[in-house]
Amino acid sequence: MGGTSTETMKIKLKIWKQDGPSDQGHFIEHTAETVSPDMSFLEMMDVVNEDLVNSGKEPVEFDHDCREGICGSCNMVINGNPHGPDKATTTCQLHMRRFKDGDTVVVEPWRAKAFPVIKDLVVDRSAFDRIMQAGGYVSVSTGNAPDANAIPVPKVDADEAFMSAACIGCGACVAACKNASASLFVSAKISHLALLPQGQAERLERAHAMVTQMDEEGFGACTNTGACSATCPKEISLENIARMNRDFLKAGLQRRK
Amino acid sequence: MELFMRIMKSTIGGKTLVGITGLSFALFLVAHMAGIMLMFVSAEAYNKYGHALISNPAIYIAEAGLIVIFVAHLAKAIQLTIKNNQARPQKYHVAASGEKATTAVQKTLWAQGLLILVFVILHLNTFKFGTIYYVTYDGETIRDLHRLVIEVFQSPAYVGGYFVALLILGFHVKHGVASAFQTLGVNHPKYTPMLKTISLLYALVVVGGFIAQPVYVFLFHKGS
Amino acid sequence: MAHPKLNSNEPTGNIEERWDKHRFSMKLVNPANKRKHTVIVVGTGLAGASASATMAELGYNVKTFGILDSPRRAHSIAAQGGINAAKNYPNDGDSIFRLFYDTVKGGDFRSRESNVYRLAQISNHIIDTCVAQGVPFARDYGGLLANRSFGGAQVSRTFYARGQTGQQLLLGAYSALNRQINAGKVQMHNRHEMLDVVVVGGKARGIITRDITTGKIERHVADAVVLATGGYGNVYYLSTNAKNSNVTAAWRCHKKGAFFANPCFTQIHPTCIPRSGDYQSKLTLMSESLRNDGRVWVPKDKGDKRKPNDIPEAERDYYLERIYPSFGNLVPRDVASRQAKFRVDEGRGVGPTGEAVYLDFLDAIKRDGESTISEKYGNLFQMYEKITDENPYKMPMRIYPAVHYTMGGLWVDYNLQSSLPGLHVAGEANFSDHGANRLGASALMQGLADGYFVIPYTIGHYIAGTEMADITTDHPEFAEAENNVKNRMNTLVGLKGSTHIDDIHRDLGKIMWNQVGMSRSKEGLNEAITNIQTLRDKFWSDGRVAGEENTKNHQLEKAGRIADLLELGELMARDALAREESCGGHFREEHQTPENEALRNDEDFCHVAAFEMKEGEKPSWERHTEDLKFDYVKLTQRSYK
Repeated sequence: MGGTSTETMKIKLKIWKQDGPSDQGHFIEHTAETVSPDMSFLEMMDVVNEDLVNSGKEPVEFDHDCREGICGSCNMVINGNPHGPDKATTTCQLHMRRFKDGDTVVVEPWRAKAFPVIKDLVVDRSAFDRIMQAGGYVSVSTGNAPDANAIPVPKVDADEAFMSAACIGCGACVAACKNASASLFVSAKISHLALLPQGQAERLERAHAMVTQMDEEGFGACTNTGACSATCPKEISLENIARMNRDFLKAGLQRRK
Repeated sequence: MELFMRIMKSTIGGKTLVGITGLSFALFLVAHMAGIMLMFVSAEAYNKYGHALISNPAIYIAEAGLIVIFVAHLAKAIQLTIKNNQARPQKYHVAASGEKATTAVQKTLWAQGLLILVFVILHLNTFKFGTIYYVTYDGETIRDLHRLVIEVFQSPAYVGGYFVALLILGFHVKHGVASAFQTLGVNHPKYTPMLKTISLLYALVVVGGFIAQPVYVFLFHKGS
Repeated sequence: MAHPKLNSNEPTGNIEERWDKHRFSMKLVNPANKRKHTVIVVGTGLAGASASATMAELGYNVKTFGILDSPRRAHSIAAQGGINAAKNYPNDGDSIFRLFYDTVKGGDFRSRESNVYRLAQISNHIIDTCVAQGVPFARDYGGLLANRSFGGAQVSRTFYARGQTGQQLLLGAYSALNRQINAGKVQMHNRHEMLDVVVVGGKARGIITRDITTGKIERHVADAVVLATGGYGNVYYLSTNAKNSNVTAAWRCHKKGAFFANPCFTQIHPTCIPRSGDYQSKLTLMSESLRNDGRVWVPKDKGDKRKPNDIPEAERDYYLERIYPSFGNLVPRDVASRQAKFRVDEGRGVGPTGEAVYLDFLDAIKRDGESTISEKYGNLFQMYEKITDENPYKMPMRIYPAVHYTMGGLWVDYNLQSSLPGLHVAGEANFSDHGANRLGASALMQGLADGYFVIPYTIGHYIAGTEMADITTDHPEFAEAENNVKNRMNTLVGLKGSTHIDDIHRDLGKIMWNQVGMSRSKEGLNEAITNIQTLRDKFWSDGRVAGEENTKNHQLEKAGRIADLLELGELMARDALAREESCGGHFREEHQTPENEALRNDEDFCHVAAFEMKEGEKPSWERHTEDLKFDYVKLTQRSYK
């Protein structure tokens, strides 16, 4: 039983180091000698960094914040799997008991042209923000709103919209996709509003604007492999991508200009 | 036209084109497969069917259409593949495993496409533009394609190659058919699993049908 | 005698009309002139994002700064439970007045009545706004919004989106922000950390930031500055706060003249997953609703190392049920937390670290069946099992309290303006609405009230009514502030001693937790002050910061934040020492009833303590007070016996 485990493990790590977007980058090797199975993956990385600092070396930079699986900051590709081997899990919620004593673990950053490396495992995901800025909103200003219960939303629609809105914007879908496609992220965002009455007025325009921005950012196309959804810590469904495609094509056909 | 070009420039538009052309070609494959099944009826039925097709002037329109569909499918898919490759300039050092992995079939769709292209060229060269034998039924002399087919499928190498090519085609259409529906925006929790089954059945039937012919000829139709 | 800067500026008269009256009396900026004014917003959580978006909608130019890579990641995102509003949709007798009343009472009478009433009034508009933005709140089968009762409230006034209310509300505010970024009205600066406020002519006129990716120090000028940088729970090292949450922006303002109010008011949440070892980096909260069915206990014998299921019923101490027979396991957060700490201090704690108590569902499962319990708490049980690898259906959960929210913060008046003119403070960063203790589901409400509905009005009042010099970032005050920041960064990056800064942060956390935590005494607080001072000296003389300045360097970012926390910690202890009473999140062992209940001293402490930092080599403070009057809610002592 965990929680009471006192034995520790030795984990051999190969971690990506890269000074900046133009640097070639390379792996450093480090053995974490006393890894507790109860540590989270990021806590193991903390210990590695303390070791590195104490031995006069540069620590590894990585993004992290809430460490409870909701902020979407952490982003490590662990032995080829974004967020590690577990389903529906972010890197911060992955625990070392998932590994065995003596394992070799390779840690890489999200890799995509649209996510350039800033340093080590830290990548620039601002492309997601720009996609959202292109149209990921309902054009309502503070003070304009009618009473919250003025528009009933069928429970099934509200629940489905919630499932799409659960996306935490971590970018694992891009990291997992063989084409570095952002389709799952963008479609989840488009679907969240497309499924609600509040989002109808701008529905097609929104889909058009966000997809156009997605293409401009240099993400690949969707091959419908489903790796994104299998990797997604919030298990966002591929249905969203179909919905996005529908809305985008409809928008293309209906646009007057 | 401008509208079409604009939609085509987007990744989704491009995928839609690949999907629609792929589905159209898939329909052609069913028709083609059904037609050659006449071999199991008789050489005469087979040859008459072939003659009816090529003697109809509409064949040129149909052939041109098929070429356009095929070329559009290939060209757009290649273009997207290049874009997709550029979207990840630096590859991972370790491949994903388990549920998060992408299957080999999904990773090599472009290669399958190119192999299928090679196959189609060889296939046309062997049959459409191959040796022309003649046969006379009820006073009418028409091409004896049946004889050519029997001849060609005596070669173990050819049958083997044909088998491999169709296997590749099978994997390609199994992914392709289901994927095309998804690309075109058809996804429903109730019907999508059904579509996936249909896609699999389609691949089995079409590939099975096509393979049945050389296998039958090779095993049971020694000499003609 | 109240300090002249501590004028609350609250309107007088009938409390129901105060906010309307105030809105009418505030000066307005001509719509055509708004575009000539720039406002800086620091922080992109609920308060910062909503304030940025709304001010931009009104026409101001907004420059918004966040330390993370996207505004959407601010820690508001992690709020689980819900957001209160006085809609009274369930028709169970709720009203604006009741929400106001509950909040004042829940805050143990240490908040301003006018502010709280306004908060309750605004609460309804927040829900309307969020729904219009497309926030997918839970709904009933009829398609109308669902409500639940939360945190012991007698009415169902909490709106929620499964366990993700914070994320969904933040995504709403973020979408409004995005719309304004797209419109060119908000200039967004991600991965920028505010390291100083620039004061020109006695007014906050800009900030100095560090680009976290490149180390570049930048100057930004504006007509006013809004701080929405959250709370300071990370002074305890382990808390439910995100790893990057910090006090630096607020502390830099404090050093430049903004008073810090009620720093000792800290909320401790009783049902968190306990730490498993020294490497522990943060604590995870589980919904308090668990106590509805779980029974809290520890072994009767000290140091009983048997597995929980091997300890017979007769050798268990269900201490909350024993001490509080009528409320039992449902006593308020602070009581449950404190009692858990007492058990651990007695040596009766459980688990590998001995810092936990059991929360047992076996009786509830026997009574209601596993499926009923799973329906109610399935998600939480799953989360618990993921982290601890223990199955709560089979053996009791281990829980322990953790720091969750800080009610204290920069002092603000009714306009949310600090004692430094031009500096406005919103959300958890200010001290305003929760008094000594915050009610469940009220943090989100306050952050959004400040951002959507208060700051956008009051900022106009400030701008319209203030003579402002026309300055640029070339002003000598900017140069000086930039220089100071650069020097500080140089000093920090030059720390090459032998103690890892994380170790210093951990040590600070231990001092704070043990002596400035759930239960405080004069002796302990004095000791804490000395220990924090020693630790601070150690930081500056023997701390070790790796790496360089002009690159992404998380060590350096942390070093600056820890340095400020080391000063804040002392102030918290001093505030706790001066406040000779127990109230809300502040419990002084000297001031308790015979039943170990908090004993307020309304005679001497019915006031806000606001600290002014004094110039000098070592940090020192002067304590000022703002008296609180209660005209609408009668001062009463609570009892849960």
